[in-house]
Order: sequence, then structure tokens, then C-alpha cells
Amino acid sequence: MKKIIHLLFISSLILLTVSCGGKNGKNETKGTESADRAAAEAVETAEVVVTEWNIPFLNCLTGPIAGIGEYLQWGAEYAAEQINAEGGIAGKPVRIERIDTGMSPEKGTVAMSKLVEDALVVMGPVPEPVIMAAVPIAAEEGLYCFTATTSYEYAAEYFPWAISFFPPTEEKLQIAVKAWAEKAGAGKAVQFVENYGAWPGMAKAHALGLEAAGAQVLENVEVPTDAVTFGPLAVKALARNPDTIIFACNAEKVAKIIIELKNRGWKDMNKILIFSSADDAALYTTGGESLNGAIIYNFSNSNLDTPRWNEFSRAFKEDHEGMEPFSLSPNYYDAVYMIKRAIEETGVTGDPNKLAEEREKIMKYCNDIEKFDGLQFTWTNRGGFPADKPLFLFEIQNGKKILVDKIIPE
Amino acid sequence: MTLTLFYYLAITAIYILMSWSVYLPYRIGQLHFMTVANMAISAYFSALMTIHFSWPFPLVLLAGTLLGALTGFAVSTAVGDAPCFAVVIVGFTFIYLTKTVIENVEIFGGPLGIFNIPKIINSSSGNRILLIIIVYFFVFLTGFFINRFDRSKLGRAASTIFVDRNIAVSFGVNPKKIGMFLQTWSSAIGGMSGVLYAFIMRGISPNHFTFNFIGICMTILFVGGYSTMWGTLLAAPILWGFPLILPESLQAWNIVIYGILLVIILLLKPEGIITRVMVQRVENIRLFSGKKVTPKSPSNKKAAQ
Repeated sequence: MKKIIHLLFISSLILLTVSCGGKNGKNETKGTESADRAAAEAVETAEVVVTEWNIPFLNCLTGPIAGIGEYLQWGAEYAAEQINAEGGIAGKPVRIERIDTGMSPEKGTVAMSKLVEDALVVMGPVPEPVIMAAVPIAAEEGLYCFTATTSYEYAAEYFPWAISFFPPTEEKLQIAVKAWAEKAGAGKAVQFVENYGAWPGMAKAHALGLEAAGAQVLENVEVPTDAVTFGPLAVKALARNPDTIIFACNAEKVAKIIIELKNRGWKDMNKILIFSSADDAALYTTGGESLNGAIIYNFSNSNLDTPRWNEFSRAFKEDHEGMEPFSLSPNYYDAVYMIKRAIEETGVTGDPNKLAEEREKIMKYCNDIEKFDGLQFTWTNRGGFPADKPLFLFEIQNGKKILVDKIIPE
Repeated sequence: MTLTLFYYLAITAIYILMSWSVYLPYRIGQLHFMTVANMAISAYFSALMTIHFSWPFPLVLLAGTLLGALTGFAVSTAVGDAPCFAVVIVGFTFIYLTKTVIENVEIFGGPLGIFNIPKIINSSSGNRILLIIIVYFFVFLTGFFINRFDRSKLGRAASTIFVDRNIAVSFGVNPKKIGMFLQTWSSAIGGMSGVLYAFIMRGISPNHFTFNFIGICMTILFVGGYSTMWGTLLAAPILWGFPLILPESLQAWNIVIYGILLVIILLLKPEGIITRVMVQRVENIRLFSGKKVTPKSPSNKKAAQ
């Protein structure tokens, strides 16, 4: 009997620990005349040898950020569906191969070690710990990675074999925060920072922007990753008597801290700035009306009114119980279209014998792609990142974002 | 050697070592999960020493193993003879503490981790081959000593403690001393595995050292068979390699499949696939095969039992 109880205890313990584990738009871009000529020649001479283009996507479909992984995957598969409906890539259908790393760097490494053998190009990995573990393998073996949701700094480490869809954090955010701080009349600021991924770096860029606007950062209040109560953090911030507050932490935590701040008398909501990574469903569902008046910045504009965006938005809502597309939703949609354009414009054939050469063609083309017709705007890459992607400032009102400013880099 | 084969072999070896580090204290009925914390501590220690102080690999490996052993010994003085539940709680607490410290101290790279750990030798393929040789040398060495332990008086004493602690004490066995010895040894294996893991992956992150990791090690141990060291050798390559061959549509279900497999094994074969009786039979066949003794003779039956 004792033995059976012991075994039952062990089996339940193992199960417990194991379960804790979790448009349409033709690419009518025009580069320089010579590039066009070269591309046209390449397309004329190249003959596609694959029957289907397989694009592996190293994503997180289980584990702590499975929710984000799902809508990244949705964006990529929606793009593939549209491309196939229009005749595919160079006349052949495209398929997005789902590879789930479960946010495990170990799984990401092993998956990447398989992909370097025969993949033409890779989308992902997601997120940063998996990128840091798996992309060095791809870079060493000459396999190009679309790390489309990570900050420039992480991709830059493996340039030219990794691309980011974001410009250098410090430069871009500094300009945006400066513009907002001047408008809001920021004087003394406190910043809530969570030590996760690129967030401390983004907080540093916020501070530089504030300084450039003549404001001062009184303190960075550290938000612990496993924090469950936020009252003490709000008290700590308010004790410094700031007139401005900036957030660089998880969406749900932002909402909870704002509620605590308001409970303790904070009124000037226009002097609260929320960073782009918190522009997530959890922010609005947790914060509700308490967020009214707060400012949030982002690289995507959900208020856009173009046929392509409206169609994407409608399809997203249809598949996600009416929810608006999240800020990162277009990234892998755009990645699939960028790969399509690279394959078609450089005359990639998918021939296994030319694998190394064709990988390099795609890499070179995408790192400096001209006037790429993205889902939200047209941009040009310089050295593996977008050089002219705009940044938007919104005011939150009843769960909606109202555009207040658009910042385009010079 | 292809990259895939390298990672498959190398990570299999790590799971073998880590499952053995859980197996050892379980010989006296303790589930000593602190070994995962030891793995994390030594992995981070080795990464820092190599990157910032250019320590050579052999020195880092030795120091990481000793660090694991010392930490394990210090804790074992308090929980050497504690009941299974208490040891489980101590293990979970240590993992949680270690992860929290790692995630919040800048030098450890925070939640992201430490990457770009240098290779042991410059050539990429040479480095891989060397690592496989080193890792399997330590698997062999550890397995050799565990096998010796299992056959020794000390091993039999540990078995007695597992069956009934009071009887063991009445025979003059000191459960605390044996517990301390096994926990220290287990932690040393954890430390050594951490260093090897850091050099295999050339990067570490707190995400490596989660409760999932314990789950996989325990599944390997209990599916393979917890009463001998041999079950681990059978289960680790299969269970670790299993998700690699799963079709794309089933990949998200691999954790559920692990759970179901475990429940089935525990219901149908509670001692796991390879049991001590099975090992004994194989040994008897080997022993008597050269002596022309009929297997049905009473003396043989007795020996087999």
C-alpha cells in the first residue's frame, strides 16, 4: 500500500512539473534601374525547381508566450494563404512550417541545427532567449533569419544573417520620447522598468529622450518579473513627487500600476507614457477605463484606413473573437511578403545544389530592400533594419487608441 | 558529424547524467531536485569564468563540479536524512531562489542569459567532436561509479533504507550519512552537467532550468526504471529524441504525450521498463552461460532470485 501511495505521489508530482512547462498588394516596388534590370534578367533565366516553397517558422506556440506566438503565426499563415490565392511565389505555392520551440533555447537550438541542413530561409526564432541560442548557429552556417519581432540590437549581433523589423532602439525612441515630453511639458519623471529582454535598453532610450527635452529622470523603479502586488511600487514612485511617468514593463503590470497610481491620487493621465511592448490585449482588458488619457507609442497604426489593412484587420477579428490586431501581428505577414519579393526578384530557384548561393541572394536583397510595400507602410532597409519606418503616438480612450502624432525619422 | 546529430547525442548525454543525479538520492527514497539548481549555478559560474577570466575548460569543469558538490554537501547536512517531501520542497525552493537571483542580477544576463561562450578549440567541427568525446567519457565514468555503488555494501544499505528505514537503522546503517553522501554526489553530477551543458549550447538562460526540466528527468527515470541505473540509458535517447520525430501537427502536444506515457507506464509497469530483477536475470544468464548449468536447476533459480 505504501509503495502504491509513493508511486501515485511521484506520478502526480511528475505530471505537475511537466505541465508547468504550457493584400493584397503586389510588390510593385521599384529599386534602382540597374537593380531592376539585374532582377529581371535573373527571373528570366531562373527556373524554379521546387514544387512548393517551405518556409520554417521557429515560433512559440506553447509555453508562457504562446498567446503572442499564435497571432504571429496567424499573420504568417494569412500571408501565405493570400499569396497562394494569387498564384504563389514564382508560380509555386508557399507553406509555413510550424516549429514550436516552447520558448526553450534548447529546442530552438536543436530545431535550427536541423534547418541549417536544407532550409532556404528561416522565420524567427521568437523570442530573445531562443534567438540568442539558435541564431548563432544559423549565422555560422549562412542561413538567413527573419527575427522580425526582436529589437534591432539583438539582430545586429548576427548581421548580415539576421534582420530586424525595428530601427536601433536608442535613436528612434529618443526622438519619440523627446517629442512627447516637449508636448506634455514633462519635468521630473519616474520610470517603471522590468528587467526583461530589450526593455532595460528601451528604458535607457526613454531617459535620453527626456533629457533631450530638458526633463529629468528621478528614478527607475524596478518592476520584479514575478511581482503580484503593485501598491508598494506606486508608493515608491509617488514618493519622488514626479510630474511624468513612463512604463517599460509587461502590459498587465502597466495596467495594474496605473490603477494603483490613480487610487493614490494621480490625475494627469496625459503625462503617462506607455512603451510599445505593452500594447497588448492584457493592457486594455486589465486597465479598462483607468487608462483613459494615457499616451502609448507604437510602430504600427491600428487606425490605418487602407483596403489591405482593413482586410487584414477584418480577417484577424474574425479569427480572434472580435479582437483588434495586436501591434506585432503584421510583422511575420510582412516577412512572408518580403521573402516572396526576394525570391521573385533575385531569381531564386530552390535548387538544393545552389542552396548557399541562393541563401546569400535572399540575405543581400532583404538587408537593403528598397521601398518594401509592407502591410502598414512602405519602407526601405539599410544594413538589415528599416531606415524610415514611422513611429506613432496614441491617446488611449475606452480601450481605443486615438492617433495624436506620427514621427518619421529624418 | 551533422549539427543535428551533435545536439542529439550531446543533450541525450546531459539528460542521462541529470537523470542519474535524480536516481542516486532516490536509492534511499529522496527526490533531490536541488541538482537542477546545482546545474544552473555551475553553468553560470562556468560561463562567467570563461568569458570574463578566460579560465580553461578543464579548470572550469573541475571547479563547477566541486561547486556543485560543496553546495550539495552544505544542504545535505540539514536534509541528509529528511523525508522525501521535505527534500522535494528544499529542491523546489533552491531552484526558485537560483532562478530569481539569476533573473535579477545584471552580471548573469537577467532573464535573457549569457551567450557566446567560447569554444574549447577554434574549429567548429573539431569542437563538436571533442565535446562529444568529453561528455560521453563522463557518462561512462559516472555510470561506472554508480554501477560499483549499486553492487557495494553501501548500495545494499541504500536499498534497505528505501524499503524500510527502521530496519536499516536496526542493522546499523546510518541513513543520514548515506543520504549526505548521495546528495553530495548527485549535486556534483548536477554541477558537472551544468558546465558541460553551457559549453554544448554555448549559451545559457534561466529558461533552461525550469520545472519542465525536472519533469523530463523524472519521466526518463521512472519510465526507464528507477530501481537500476540502466533504465535511464534506455529511456533518455528515446524520450529526448521523441519530440524531434513528432509530426508538425503533434509537436504542441508533446508534453501531453509525455504525461500520458508516464501514467500508462506507472499503471502497467510501476517499476519502469528495466527493473532490478530483469538486470539480475541478464547477469545470471551471462554468468551461467559458460558453465553449462541448466537454467531450470534449483540452485540457478535461487541465484536468479
